[in-house]
Amino acid sequence: MRYLRLLVSFARISLMGELSFRVNFLLKILVEVLWLGILLIFYKTIFSKSSSVSGWDEYQYLFFLGAYYTLEGFVETFFLENCVEFSELVRSGNLDFFLLKPIDEQFLLTFRKIDWSTAPKIFLGLGLMSIGAMDLGITFEPFRVFWFLVLLFMGFSLAYSFLLVLTSLGVWLVRNQSLMEIWWLFTNLMRYPRSIYQPSWALPIRVVFGVFIPALLAVSVPAEYFLGKSDWSGIALLSISTGFFIWLSRWFFFYSLRHYQSASS
Amino acid sequence: MPVIKTQNLTKEFKVFEKQPGLGGAFRNLFNRKAKKVLAVDSINLEIQEGEIVGFLGPNGAGKTTTLKMLSGLVFPTRGTAEVLGYTPWKRPIEFRKAFSLVMGQKNQLWWDLPASDSFFLLREIYGIDRKKFASTVDELTTLFQCRDLLAQPVRELSLGERMKMELTAALLHEPKLLLLDEPTIGLDVVAQSSIHKFLEEYNRSRKITILMTSHYMRDVERLCSRVVIISSGKMVYDGTLDGIKKRHGNEKTIRVLFRKQVSPGILPGLQASEVRGEELQWHVSREEIPKFISHLAGRDDVVDISIEDPPIEEVISKFFQSQVIQAPTLPAQVES
Repeated sequence: MRYLRLLVSFARISLMGELSFRVNFLLKILVEVLWLGILLIFYKTIFSKSSSVSGWDEYQYLFFLGAYYTLEGFVETFFLENCVEFSELVRSGNLDFFLLKPIDEQFLLTFRKIDWSTAPKIFLGLGLMSIGAMDLGITFEPFRVFWFLVLLFMGFSLAYSFLLVLTSLGVWLVRNQSLMEIWWLFTNLMRYPRSIYQPSWALPIRVVFGVFIPALLAVSVPAEYFLGKSDWSGIALLSISTGFFIWLSRWFFFYSLRHYQSASS
Repeated sequence: MPVIKTQNLTKEFKVFEKQPGLGGAFRNLFNRKAKKVLAVDSINLEIQEGEIVGFLGPNGAGKTTTLKMLSGLVFPTRGTAEVLGYTPWKRPIEFRKAFSLVMGQKNQLWWDLPASDSFFLLREIYGIDRKKFASTVDELTTLFQCRDLLAQPVRELSLGERMKMELTAALLHEPKLLLLDEPTIGLDVVAQSSIHKFLEEYNRSRKITILMTSHYMRDVERLCSRVVIISSGKMVYDGTLDGIKKRHGNEKTIRVLFRKQVSPGILPGLQASEVRGEELQWHVSREEIPKFISHLAGRDDVVDISIEDPPIEEVISKFFQSQVIQAPTLPAQVES
C-alpha cells in the first residue's frame, strides 16, 4: 500500500519534471507515433503479398503487434530510463543516496522515474489489439481477457527481469552502452511471433531464446492464448521461467549492490 | 551508549593499474595488475550523543571512506562498527531512518523541481506523518530563513541556498545522527556562517550527534568541541582543538611597530621573519617570550606590540606534515 502511494508520488513528480520541458515531451510522443506508422506500413506491404506468415494472418499479426507495443510501452514508461541511468549513478557515486533511503532498493531504483512521454505507446498498443481482435471477430469474453492479461503481465515481468539483470551488470561495467544493445536485441526477439523461428536453421535461436533465456515467449504466449493458437507447454514454460527470472534477477541485483558497496570509494 | 563505536575499522581497496599507451591497453585486457590500497587503517572511534566532532585530514586520508562505512555504503575489510546500535553495512530499514548523510559535492534534490517537491517525495519515502512534516519544514525553514526559496527550481538556487535546502531535506525525518562530508565547500563566508549558526542551534535544541569533515578551519573552530585527525588512513589525533595547538602550536607570532624603520636583526639572537615598513614580525617559542620582552623593554622607539597564536590552518597543516607516513601500499599482486 505504501509502495503504491510512493509509485503515485514518483509518477506525479516525473510528470511535473517532464512538463517543464514541453517541447521535448511532445517531440518524443511524435517520434513514437511515427515509429509505429513505419512498422505498420512494413507489415501492410508484407501481407499484401502473402495472406499468412508462419501461420499468422494479417489481423492476428496486428493483434500481436498491439500486444508487443503494450508490453514495450509499459517497460519503457516504468523502467527503461531508470535502468539506463543506473550505470550513470554507479559512475558518479550518486547511487549512495538511493541506497540510504529506507525503502526497497529494487523498487526505488527501477520505479523512481516514470517516463510519461512513452505512455501513449501503451494506448497505441491497446488500440491495435482492439482493432485486430474486432476484425478477427473475437468476442471479449471476460474469462479470456482476464487470462490474457495475466499472461501478458507475466511476459512483462519476464522482460523486466531481463532488463534488471542487464542493469545490474552496470555495477561492473560502469559503461552500459553494450547492455542497452543487448536489450535492443531482446526487444527484437519479442517483436515477432516465435513461430517464425520454426525452420531448422533457426534452431539455435529457438532453443536459446525460447527455453533458456525465453525472450521469445514474452509476447508470443499471451497473444497465442488470446487468438486460440496456444498449447499448454508455452503457457507452462512462460509461468515457470517468469517465476525463476523474477527470483534470479532480484538476487543478482542485490548481489551487484553488495559488490558496489565493497568496491565504491 | 555511544552513538558511534568502531573497533579496528579497516578498508582495503583493490585498484587496477592501467598501463599507458595502446599496447598497454591491450595488455590490460588479459593481464591486469591489481594493487591493494589501504584507505582506512584500524580506526577506533567512539562518539557520544550530542557531540559535534570534526573529522580532519588531508585529501585522500580516508575521511569519506570512513563516513561511507559508518553509513553502510561501504563494506569494511576488517573490524567492527556500531552506529546507533546497528551494524551499518547490514543496512536495516530502521537504521536508514535514523541518520542522514549530506555531501557538499553532491546533491540529492531533484534538479529541475522546486525543493518543496523533493521534500514531499522524501516525506513519502520516509513515511513521515503529515502534521509532523509540516511542522518540521516550518521549523527548519525558519531556522535557515529560507522559506521563500521552497518554490524555486533547485537548479536556479545559488550554491549556498542549495546547501540550506540539502540540509533541510536531510533533517526532515529527524535523524539522530548527521554525517556531513564537506558541507561548506565552495560557500562564501556569509553562507558558511549561516550554516554554522543553523547547525549550532539545531544541535543545541535536538541533541543531534554530528560528525563532519571539512577543509575549512572556520567550520571546525566554530562548531567542533572535539577533533579527530586521520592521515594516510590512520587516526593520528583525537582530542580538543586547543590540544593540537598545545602540541604543535608552541610558537607565537609577535608583531612590533617601531617609530622608524629598523634592521631585522635589531634584537640579539632573534632574526625577524618579516619586515613591513616600520613593523617587524617574529615567530617565537613560548619559552623565549620572557627573554624577548626584556629585550624590548629597554627600548623607547616601540609604538605597539601584539602577541598572537598562529592561525589554526598553519597548526593543522604542520600536524599533517609531521604525520606523513609513506603511502600504505601493500605489495603489488598479479591478478589473472
